[in-house]
Amino acid sequence: MKQPILQVRDLKQHFPVTSGMILQRQVGSIRAVDGISFDVYEGETLGIVGESGCGKSTAVRSISQLYKPTGGSVIFNGIELTTADPRTMLAARRDIQMIFQDPYASLNPRMTVRSIIAEPLVIYNRRNLLDPPLSKLEIEHRVEELMERVGLSKVFKNRYPHEFSGGQRQRIGIARALALNPKIILADEPVSALDVSIQSQILNLLSDLQKEFNLTYIFIAHDLAVIQHISTRVAVMYLGKIVEISEAVNLYDNPLHPYTTALLSAAPIPDPVVERNRQRIILTGDVPSPDKERFGCYFYDRCPKRMPWCSNHIPPMFKRGKNHEVACWLYDETRDYHDVSMEEAKADAAKASK
Amino acid sequence: MKNVVATNEFNQVVEGNSLGKDAWRRLRKNKMAVIGMIVVIIYSILAATAPLLPIYPYDQIILDHQHLRPSLTRTSGEIMMENRLKDLYFKAWRSGELVVTEAESAQIRKWIAANDTNKVWNFVFKEGEAQREAGIFTFNAADQRVITRLQDKIDTEFLIDVTQITFSEEKGDKRQDLSKMSYEQISRIYADLSNTDIEAVKAQTLTEVSSQLMNTLKSATPGLTAEEYAVNLELELQTIGESGVAKLGKTNLLGKISTTITRQADRDLKQEIREGLAVFPVERIIDVNDQLQAKVTATKKHERMYYLGTDYSGRDMLSRIIYGSQVSIAIGLVGTLTSVLIGIVLGAIAGYVGGKVDYILMRIVDIMYGLPYMLLVIIFMAIFGRNILNLFGALALVSWLTIARMVRGQVMSLKNSEYVEAARSMGGSTARIILKHMIPNSLSVIIVYSTLRVPAFIMQESFLSFLGLGVQAPFASWGSLVGDAVDGMTLYPWRLIFPAIAMTLFLFAMNFFGDGLRDAFDPQSKNEL
Repeated sequence: MKQPILQVRDLKQHFPVTSGMILQRQVGSIRAVDGISFDVYEGETLGIVGESGCGKSTAVRSISQLYKPTGGSVIFNGIELTTADPRTMLAARRDIQMIFQDPYASLNPRMTVRSIIAEPLVIYNRRNLLDPPLSKLEIEHRVEELMERVGLSKVFKNRYPHEFSGGQRQRIGIARALALNPKIILADEPVSALDVSIQSQILNLLSDLQKEFNLTYIFIAHDLAVIQHISTRVAVMYLGKIVEISEAVNLYDNPLHPYTTALLSAAPIPDPVVERNRQRIILTGDVPSPDKERFGCYFYDRCPKRMPWCSNHIPPMFKRGKNHEVACWLYDETRDYHDVSMEEAKADAAKASK
Repeated sequence: MKNVVATNEFNQVVEGNSLGKDAWRRLRKNKMAVIGMIVVIIYSILAATAPLLPIYPYDQIILDHQHLRPSLTRTSGEIMMENRLKDLYFKAWRSGELVVTEAESAQIRKWIAANDTNKVWNFVFKEGEAQREAGIFTFNAADQRVITRLQDKIDTEFLIDVTQITFSEEKGDKRQDLSKMSYEQISRIYADLSNTDIEAVKAQTLTEVSSQLMNTLKSATPGLTAEEYAVNLELELQTIGESGVAKLGKTNLLGKISTTITRQADRDLKQEIREGLAVFPVERIIDVNDQLQAKVTATKKHERMYYLGTDYSGRDMLSRIIYGSQVSIAIGLVGTLTSVLIGIVLGAIAGYVGGKVDYILMRIVDIMYGLPYMLLVIIFMAIFGRNILNLFGALALVSWLTIARMVRGQVMSLKNSEYVEAARSMGGSTARIILKHMIPNSLSVIIVYSTLRVPAFIMQESFLSFLGLGVQAPFASWGSLVGDAVDGMTLYPWRLIFPAIAMTLFLFAMNFFGDGLRDAFDPQSKNEL
């Protein structure tokens, strides 16, 4: 069994909602990420997919400790990040880098490409966390090397970000993420702001880099085709929860969770004949607001296959075959819940809570 | 490191482009802003090089030259004579010696009633000169004597300036500059010069220094008893110490030596004038005694030209305006700089840290906004004393509020931008993020606001000086010049007009420049490339 490089256990990220001018009281919280668990193994790409607002971006920001998680644990290479002291944290973070969604917003418009790419090197160098320490000239060479590697000419290093196209800017962002030789890269929708031809270039670049440097990716996207192209495993998120996680091939061929099925059926197929005969599952209603605690299945409100039992029992992850887990009561092999009435379910929930 | 240039596919060199360069290109297109910038630069150069300019000292009081009107062609002597003649013609008209028609007399009376003194003077002067020319009118003997005496004074009076005193032990030794010698040496030299004992000189100097200190004490804290003053004086002497006393004593002695030399030179020159030998301007080195030598320049006092007139104590308005611009521009720049620095630091902290810190800082800002800031400045000046440094402090203290709010807003909007998040994910410290990411990105707003802030500071300083809380005489600032001039506004309008023009021009230029900068730093401005 391979040892996971990153373990996420029951990670929760709640944002407090406060009211009051001077004495601020917490009146509730937005449960952006509400208890997710997964492992990431070295050299693989974990794709996270889900509709807008389901907590994908928050999840990676919590993992990289940009937000202090409300609960749960993130263990990277045996180091517990949520409770690590700043220096350990900094040393660990060296191996966790991020690529951001918007190539226009993620680069400081007042800095040259050289200083943008050199920034992580300079920061770690100054804090004596680089081994061996780099001289100014070495940093310069490293910057040039990185630029060439991601497909930018090094003659552009004195230029400012606004002189580049979106694709080129995203390359700058990738070069910056590679600067410290990280082990894992958290890519937060790195291609969603680019047009399709550039998307494929960037995706190919990312796969090449992965092979070359043995990188691990956590890759967020809402484009199912992109996820299918790049991922080895895929996690589907809904309302701050992972509802299904599986090998990519498996998931696309055999989606289990009703939400995954609906999501996959929503993607158009570029073949008119197939497209015309495609069976679409239309979900009713909107994604509910994540501001209250839930006691039942998170997808209950919109689920086409809901049962009374689902309204007050949170489904655990059920293993279905190798590397395929799904959070749905339909797949509990020990019991069939179709016959359970609402009253029985409620009584059971009340008993469980006692 | 090899310098690589960027080339495009046609092998043409591609120049990197920065926001600053873009801004400069846009600014150059804005004519008014460029003119404004040039005016500001000229003012700054004039103010900075004031001591090197060929202008009269700004604090030299010549009581004979009170309220001389500005003239580009006539010397002060001629204008003095004209003023005297005006006065005499007016007296002559009063006593009936200067005969004018009935209608003209009525007109004159009407002017007097309306307080139009200048019109009366100009009229009687023109009329009198014309009549004297034609031989109809002659002054009476007393008046004629006054005129002759004044003319004599104008022809003979001169100003002596001792520029340098040097000393050598023996003839032919290397000469030393007296002002660079020690108190001890100077005491001995003065004792020799005045044929007294060195101890007597020292004792005398000590008494003088004490009485000087006593005077400052008395003016600083009036209303104490004699014993209390004596105690305070003792304390004061202890605080400044031996070296302080020596320093004050040296200044006193140098002054005395200079006066002795001036008196001697004065005597000599007067003798020469009587003999008709003197040719002005004089510049010579005189031997005071075997050891002392002084470089002395003498110019005719009443041959001075006042292009912008003089003020109530005969000081040159031109040099006062130029020296005044020093103070005013310095207040504008230093005040802006300090307030911007305070504002950036507090605003950035409030915006970045947020929460309670932000809340407390912003409530302080709110409270200070609520207080009438002029009152704060006045209280500050009253507590810490009225000098230029305190004025800087007081103005800076109340004017960081707006900039702090602006920077806070900018920082808050930038705090959640992705590049700041990226910097945080790379482990950048708070200080680094604020200095490298947030401040550079809010700099355009800050620059523009600062340039618009400079005129406001100058106005505030002027206002304070106008109220008598700003700079104190003999120093000048535009505001204090205008404030002084208000008294004789109708009689001596030049005293008001010139400083006001100087100030207005600068404020205009600064405002246009600031406006231009704002447009230049805004890439979406209509003033495009």
